[in-house]
Amino acid sequence: MSNLANGIHSVARGASDAAAVRERADPAVVRADRVEQLYSQLPLGLAATVVIGVIAAVELHEGRLIELLVVWGGLLAAVVILHGLLYRSYRKDAQRTENAEHWLRRLGIGAFAAGAVWGFAAAVFFPSHADERQVFLAFLLAGVISGGIPMYAASWPIFAAYGAAIALPFTYVLATFGNRLFAEIALLIPLFYGASVAIAYRLNGVFLSGYRLRHAYQRSLVELDEAGRQIEASGRKLALFAERSPIAVFELDGEAMLREVNQAAEILFGYAADELVGRSVKRLVLTKDHADFDREWQRLMASRQPATGVKVRNLRRDGLTVVCEWTVTPLVNSAGKLISVIAQGRDVTAQLEAERMKKEFTSTLSHELRTPLTSIIGSLQLVNAGVLGDVPKDVMDLLEVAERNSQRLLDLINDILDIEKIDSGKLTLNPEVLSVDDLVHEAMVLNKGFGDRFKVRFQSQGELVRRQVNADRKRLLQVMTNLLSNAAKFSPEGEAVQITTEERGAWLRVAVHDRGPGIPEAFRARVFGRFSQADSTTSRYKGGTGLGLAICKRLVEMMQGRIGFEDRDGGGTTFWFELPAHA
Amino acid sequence: MPERALERICYVEDDEDIQRIVRMSLERVGKMTVEVVSDPNQALGVMARFKPDLVMLDWMMPGMDGPTLFRKMKLEPQTAALPVVFITAKATQRDMEELIALGAAATISKPFSPKDLPDQLRAIWAKLP
Repeated sequence: MSNLANGIHSVARGASDAAAVRERADPAVVRADRVEQLYSQLPLGLAATVVIGVIAAVELHEGRLIELLVVWGGLLAAVVILHGLLYRSYRKDAQRTENAEHWLRRLGIGAFAAGAVWGFAAAVFFPSHADERQVFLAFLLAGVISGGIPMYAASWPIFAAYGAAIALPFTYVLATFGNRLFAEIALLIPLFYGASVAIAYRLNGVFLSGYRLRHAYQRSLVELDEAGRQIEASGRKLALFAERSPIAVFELDGEAMLREVNQAAEILFGYAADELVGRSVKRLVLTKDHADFDREWQRLMASRQPATGVKVRNLRRDGLTVVCEWTVTPLVNSAGKLISVIAQGRDVTAQLEAERMKKEFTSTLSHELRTPLTSIIGSLQLVNAGVLGDVPKDVMDLLEVAERNSQRLLDLINDILDIEKIDSGKLTLNPEVLSVDDLVHEAMVLNKGFGDRFKVRFQSQGELVRRQVNADRKRLLQVMTNLLSNAAKFSPEGEAVQITTEERGAWLRVAVHDRGPGIPEAFRARVFGRFSQADSTTSRYKGGTGLGLAICKRLVEMMQGRIGFEDRDGGGTTFWFELPAHA
Repeated sequence: MPERALERICYVEDDEDIQRIVRMSLERVGKMTVEVVSDPNQALGVMARFKPDLVMLDWMMPGMDGPTLFRKMKLEPQTAALPVVFITAKATQRDMEELIALGAAATISKPFSPKDLPDQLRAIWAKLP
């Protein structure tokens, strides 16, 4: 697309600014063209030289200096022959475009030589002839100089060298002749020469400008052609994108009238494309939302900024309302004019319904399951606490099983609710400044009963008496409880679970060390994942939902902390979390 | 802190099972006198007659929810000053904060431990002005 854009951009620039276009012509190509022009005139120039040379020889041969005339004729012939050879080798050079500079230089030397031969004629023959021949010579030389202008107009310096080679000797001869009239003419010749060079210079400029324009034009044509091809390809690609896209795509004008619709849109709304094109898109918007739609559309037209996640209640042909989520993009050209509006939408009705059901389910889970559990756990607790007097041991054992498993069910419900709350961003923390040591001791007291059940002791080591963290106390206790209960579950009976606290730079680390079987290699990556337990049979006899560590990780991270685990020397695992120390 | 010990509790709750557990917990473990009301519409009358030290309200009840009943209590001179503890299964932080903002003395979330409930209530009682 960027090539295409560049192409369009440069073409547009070319059309708008001819001067800028000329600048874009390649100087090397322009030079080669000028050289070609100079050489193409060479045969005509040589023919003219031969004709004028013969006439001059005939006219001057009656003079006394017949030997000098022969020498001059020889020189002129040599110049003509050399020019002929120069022309031939130029034509034969396949690289003449690249070698243009070189050919220009040679032609310059040739032109100077030709001029010098005519200058020689002026110097030698003018003084030695009588009046009539002198007039003839003067006309001849003026003609030869003038004839050089069209010959060498494509390069004024060459003309200047050629003309100077003729004019200088002639001027000198006239000035030194000893005749007042001739001396006055001698003064005029440099003026004539200067005027000719000026004309050549001007012509040179015109030629140059013409060449440049021609090349720029050719180049622009090539680029325009390329840009056209790219536009066509992009157009096909875009059409394909829209046609095959599984989401509905509309192209609209500034008045929200449909210009084009894709197949997905036809299927979604139940209309054929030609039933929609040329009509307002409001036909597909719920009637009572039209006022809102108009307001939003006005806002879009004013801002011309793309909008995403725009939820609209759309009306299908069969009368059903679907909620679609739209991405709306106004296309504006570089001149700020709105070209069209592209709207891409998908039906999110089912998704919204699923979200609503999930919310409803969570709410049901929260209330409808917790209420009966309150009765079950409450009843069992009252019996197990001996409030109703002694119960036979077998019955007591079974009641304990019932209470423990009810508690497990409650834990699962609470964990699922926590995860849901974290996911939906509804879990809010109440941070307060807490002493790490107090927290550790409180967690140990809270979980003592759990440890007793697995015949595991909790021991603390290390003192961070004055160190504090800024954290949610209840949630941090939840994290501690998870780590302690996991450690107790997996420790061999009679072992101690160590809890250490440690200062690590700006972090305070709490670590729980067990002597359990360690974490299997294959499970390490999923430790903090959901419903993950190394051995799914473990949960059956030890309890646990497989959500605990996932929740811990989210909670610790919400408190700007981090959590991890490592193997412990001598067997077992260390789970730790770190929180930023409170200043 | 009130001068008397906490003795008389009025509990408005539609779920009969939870009523029984709370009654057993408060009477047997806590040695308190309990009056349970199943129909929130009759609660104001019962409170006026029973004269509880503290009222426990369930949040979600058919007919009238806890917060509505609480607002009505505030309008009656005989019940306006009674301390109220909400018992709720709706556990979000925002719900709890809303109740405290209404003027509730405390909230206890379901499921609660009937073993510890009397102590919890006494702790709340002790903190009252």
